[in-house]
Amino acid sequence: MPFGYHAAYLHIDVTDGHVDRLPLDESTLRQFIGGSGLGVRLLLDAGTAHLDALAPEAPLVFAFSPLVGSPLTTSAKFAVVSKSPLTNRINDSLASSGFAVAGKQCGCDAIVIVGRASELSVLVIENDRGGGGPRVRLESAAECRGATCQDTEAHLRARLGREYRVASIGPAGEQLVRYATISHDGRHAGRGGSGAVLGSKNIKAIAVRGRERVAWAHPETLTTLSRDLSKRSFGPATAKYRELGTATNLLTFNRFNALPTRNFQTGSFEAAANLSPEQLSVTRSKTRDSCVTCTIGCEHIYSILPADAGSHKSGSGFRPHAEETTGVRVEYESLFALGSLCGISDADAVLWASRRCDELGLDTISAGGTIAFAMECAERGWLDEPWLKFGSADALLRALEAIAARDGVGDLLAEGSRRAAQAIGHNSIAIAPQVKGLEIPGYEPRALQTMALGFAVGPRGADHNRSGAYEVDFSDKVDRRNVTLEAVRHAIDTEDRAALMDSLIVCKFLRGVFSDFYAEAADMLHAVTGWNATAAELLDTARRIVAAKREFNLLAGWTPAEDTLPERFLSTPLPDDPAASLSRTRLNELVAEYHRQRGV
Amino acid sequence: MQVEFLGVSRQRAGVAELVVEAETLGQLLASLADRLPSLSEVILGDRLHPAFVANLNGDQFIRDPKTRLQRDDCVLILAADAGG
Repeated sequence: MPFGYHAAYLHIDVTDGHVDRLPLDESTLRQFIGGSGLGVRLLLDAGTAHLDALAPEAPLVFAFSPLVGSPLTTSAKFAVVSKSPLTNRINDSLASSGFAVAGKQCGCDAIVIVGRASELSVLVIENDRGGGGPRVRLESAAECRGATCQDTEAHLRARLGREYRVASIGPAGEQLVRYATISHDGRHAGRGGSGAVLGSKNIKAIAVRGRERVAWAHPETLTTLSRDLSKRSFGPATAKYRELGTATNLLTFNRFNALPTRNFQTGSFEAAANLSPEQLSVTRSKTRDSCVTCTIGCEHIYSILPADAGSHKSGSGFRPHAEETTGVRVEYESLFALGSLCGISDADAVLWASRRCDELGLDTISAGGTIAFAMECAERGWLDEPWLKFGSADALLRALEAIAARDGVGDLLAEGSRRAAQAIGHNSIAIAPQVKGLEIPGYEPRALQTMALGFAVGPRGADHNRSGAYEVDFSDKVDRRNVTLEAVRHAIDTEDRAALMDSLIVCKFLRGVFSDFYAEAADMLHAVTGWNATAAELLDTARRIVAAKREFNLLAGWTPAEDTLPERFLSTPLPDDPAASLSRTRLNELVAEYHRQRGV
Repeated sequence: MQVEFLGVSRQRAGVAELVVEAETLGQLLASLADRLPSLSEVILGDRLHPAFVANLNGDQFIRDPKTRLQRDDCVLILAADAGG
């Protein structure tokens, strides 16, 4: 067995509770590492790419990695990999913290779940050292029906024991909202609807408790590397995340006309300052938190006063408990999607909406994108829901509740903007803010055209986590509003690097810390596994993982025509920055060059 | 010319904007370092720390200290690690 791994995964059929512990050979592990890479490999091996994403036979993979459980900063992460019910393509979403460590200590490198439980259940996996391997059982979670992610986690830990780590779905996952999340400790495997996949299996939560550690090949070297990486993680390259969090992007993007506003109709928002962390921290107390093993501490948690929530109660129909009014993690993507994208300038409402998404188990980007799309359709008279207006905080909050309950128009919006556009007609697909069905994150494609390419070709759809092409736009490598074919190799580089980071796994907020990421990744992997992998081998590994995602998509029905952007971006210059114009011809050239370089 | 600070550089500078006289980017950065010691982590001599970048008028990202500046230019200083 290689160091750093258990060299096995659990295959659990929740229909009848049957469990197999199956071997993972060293060659597979070295070729796909862990996390996203291993998850995609296991999905391909299952041969289920053609199935409906919500079919009982469609697997949902929780994949750990060789670095999980090590002292390397930010390594306590896990990947959730499946076919996406939103895109019908590959979906790999990552989350962090204790679940990753406890899950791996159950004695497996991955957990593959298939089937459908007969009642709403919690899947319990535990493994005591020397206790004969992982034990798996299903328990009823009927009392958790309709409960928020946080309440479910708290309830199950109280019932099972504090040493259990719990990943759960909220009401949105139970209702099979196509962009429902899986939540753990306040973080979310957020994009692409993995929460709906778990919900389709009638599994409300997974609880893990383990004590089976793996051995490391060179523990002293690992300690040295960990100390060095932690030390560097305190430096200027991560200052942004420590001091302001990702929310600081808001004013920066607004300055560059790259802040999507009112369903991507413009790239700047007149009330951006209201939502900025610089302003939020003036009137609200703030605390910081971090994932297990993380030394960056990027989570900035702002207080929400009961009065903030109360002002929106009547319109949205919910009654927050007193204990629910403590705080909310604020991230740029949530501020953009629930703020500028919906034209909401009321910071209290945006923070509360973000918190409700966390509770309901909704991806904030897809929720905000779909609601903003519906607001524009309503304003154009294409959707008979006149209450859906840009700038209306009550409309935003009411829509979120309706989506999670699939109530009224919420049932349509729970399908995401692409399916909603198909139902609404009027060629509204031209303004649906999505690629392959996944709503576009907070990067205006016309103002950031390398990112536009990254969105267009992304295997899981419009995605800022699997392509970091925006970094290229914010550099002297390209003219961000008039990119040439030279941008393609840079976009590929960021995609490759992300694939490896998501498989090792380390947090992308460290990316500025590495002077030679592949060489340092090889050193980390050597210390943990003993492999003498070179930087060149790991670059090949990254490309293999990207190719594996494309292979899954091909088997699921992908065609090159999917690698594009909505018509809005290709027919209309950005009104507040006419120099930001991206023609269909230009995008097609970029995509064709990407396909050529990728060998597609 | 005008200098705009965004994000962490604004936190460090303590101001959002500043007017500075300089003919090149290097001169501008050296001048800022003199006036605002709190930028010591951001500016290394006549260059920005690699974790930060400069942008000219919202258009072009610049790094070379010899880059010529005009009187009516606006130089933005922000984290190189945009996005996230």
